[in-house]
Amino acid sequence: MALILLLVIPLVAAATSLAVRRKIFVLEAIAAVAAPLEFAVAAMIITDVVRNGSSDYGTYLAVDSLGAVVLITVTLVGLAAIFYSVGYLREEVRKQIIGFSRVKQYFILLHLFLAAMFFAILTLSPIGMWIAIEATTLSTAFLISFYSKPSSMEAAWKYLIINSIGLLLGFFGMLLFLTSTSESGVSKFINWTALTQNAGDMNPLLAKIAFIFVLIGYGTKVGLAPMHTWLPDAHSKAPSPISALLSGALLNVAMLAILKFRIVADAGGAATFSSSLMIYFGVLSIGISAFIIIVQKNYKRLFAYSSIEHMGIAALGFGFGGLGTFAALLHMIYHSLAKSILFFSAGNIFLKYSSTKIRNVKGMLSALPATSVILLIGFLAITGMPPFGIFLTEFYILSAGMGEHLPVVIAVLLLLVLVFAGFLKHIAGMTFGRESEPLPAGESNYLTVVPPVVLLSLFVAAGLYLPASLKSLITAAAALING
Amino acid sequence: MSHLNEQTLLLFATFIFAMAVLLHFTRKNTSAIRLYMAQSSAISVLLLASAFDRFTPLLIVAIIATVAVKIVIVPYFFYGLIKRHELTFSVSTYLNTPATLAVIAALLVLIQSDFFSPLAMLAPAGDKLLRLAFATILISLFLSINRRGAISQVLGILSLENGIVSFALFAGLEESPGFQLGITFNILIWVIIATVFASMIFHKFGSLDVTTMKKLKD
Repeated sequence: MALILLLVIPLVAAATSLAVRRKIFVLEAIAAVAAPLEFAVAAMIITDVVRNGSSDYGTYLAVDSLGAVVLITVTLVGLAAIFYSVGYLREEVRKQIIGFSRVKQYFILLHLFLAAMFFAILTLSPIGMWIAIEATTLSTAFLISFYSKPSSMEAAWKYLIINSIGLLLGFFGMLLFLTSTSESGVSKFINWTALTQNAGDMNPLLAKIAFIFVLIGYGTKVGLAPMHTWLPDAHSKAPSPISALLSGALLNVAMLAILKFRIVADAGGAATFSSSLMIYFGVLSIGISAFIIIVQKNYKRLFAYSSIEHMGIAALGFGFGGLGTFAALLHMIYHSLAKSILFFSAGNIFLKYSSTKIRNVKGMLSALPATSVILLIGFLAITGMPPFGIFLTEFYILSAGMGEHLPVVIAVLLLLVLVFAGFLKHIAGMTFGRESEPLPAGESNYLTVVPPVVLLSLFVAAGLYLPASLKSLITAAAALING
Repeated sequence: MSHLNEQTLLLFATFIFAMAVLLHFTRKNTSAIRLYMAQSSAISVLLLASAFDRFTPLLIVAIIATVAVKIVIVPYFFYGLIKRHELTFSVSTYLNTPATLAVIAALLVLIQSDFFSPLAMLAPAGDKLLRLAFATILISLFLSINRRGAISQVLGILSLENGIVSFALFAGLEESPGFQLGITFNILIWVIIATVFASMIFHKFGSLDVTTMKKLKD
């Protein structure tokens, strides 16, 4: 029942928001009620998965440990993004950048976006998951073009076209996998279990071709290079809370699709091939983003390229396998938290400086003291400095590859140093640089500070102490992938 | 599909493939839409033939919805867009005609190569059908990449989707009607959103040539 509730709550919130007339606070209230409810229901589901290995509802919906790991990121970032959105949009309304209709459109699409992501995680059908991920593209396209500026229109068009092509290629890959079930007498409703069980009958070469299409298709949505070109544009043009959701939640949902198909491909005899492919795309993503981070001029694009880098690191971990898989899953959680913190900080910077250009942001420490501290910690966290969790996961991932892929590990280490240097240069300039005309000190409102602070506390705590239940959940998820 | 003999199926596969190729060389937006409609009509006939033995109410609804979306609603939206903004001619391509032909030829050679021989195993009797459907997929993908006009890009994606549907039909894959409806609904929403965006792009940039959009820089 909890699974149904998790789908119904955001849909009801979207429908109720649609009926609201002229009162922004009603839209805020609906969101403020829906988000904690979704969080509570998701917590129930995750607890169920920890206790019983999975949480089911009938034939069509279920969450296993792998889905639960991604559900954690979607609900946490979703909850924080909704409360942050309230504070962020209030400020934009106050500045008369947007009005009631835009706020209404924003919340309706945000609820639909969350519903689509929840459905992608909960559905037992690969086709259902494809429909849900395509629905995330459709619901977020208007959020990316939210400000109706030429640049945001361009970003949204690029997002729509590239992701649609990618997802159709992913759909084709999925069809190739589905051929293994066409003559086996299984029911017309094909779930992941049936697909994996029948994959053994597949020609391994066909399984490889299918996985190439799936990885290119869903990899486009994950932002893996070289299919990443839409991501920096979309993530930088969307309102900051949406950027946080795109980076911290949606990328993980798309990665979940790849991982589920990877399990099927491995069962079809393409295990070594799928690992190599993940390593290849992982290194390419880290490499491309590292060099662009160094010369980046826009702080939101900086964070977007960092997302490509971190999805590359996760792909690398999944490619290495073993301990790397466990670390990659944990890395996805840490990255979601850290990147959301950074995008919320980006939102606060934009509200204060009205610019996303790095050179226009100086002296943050005096103008935005709280955000500066959050940004500095976020920067240290995302670049993998100890004692933060990302340091540990990157260490584990690289350790997993040390034996068989030493040249790759050395190359990635050097690239990570490059990423740190790039971030240091940009963030130091923004926080400590001297501004020509000092801005009045102070944050926009408490709702733009509390969500990143809460996420930051969680992130730091999870880095220092990993609860046994979370550890066992990730271990079970890693076991599903490693087979 | 057992109701259509192999020759008839081959005729349909060739027709669907030919429409994808012709989409590369048409210069008028209205002609491109007609080519897409013709391609979708062939797909609809194949869908009907594939469902002949297993008609259920939900399946009938799914097929009617597919036909309505592909042959009526999608062209309606595009004709509306063309009429509203007087977009008679589509914007040119990145590659010229000989280069486009060369790429299409190269794709066909690739599809005939041994690398894709496992695809033939999906339906040994229909090897040619699957290769033609796969060719439609790749040539449609190339259309989306090679065209500079927003409408042509969208038509390329829709033709790609037609190619995938034909591949699924020739490979003997039958989706459940519920999911077929879901996919059709997704396409409908996608087309509506793409049309709205195309209209907004025209208002902002005064053209549907995507190369005029140069507001994003690294």
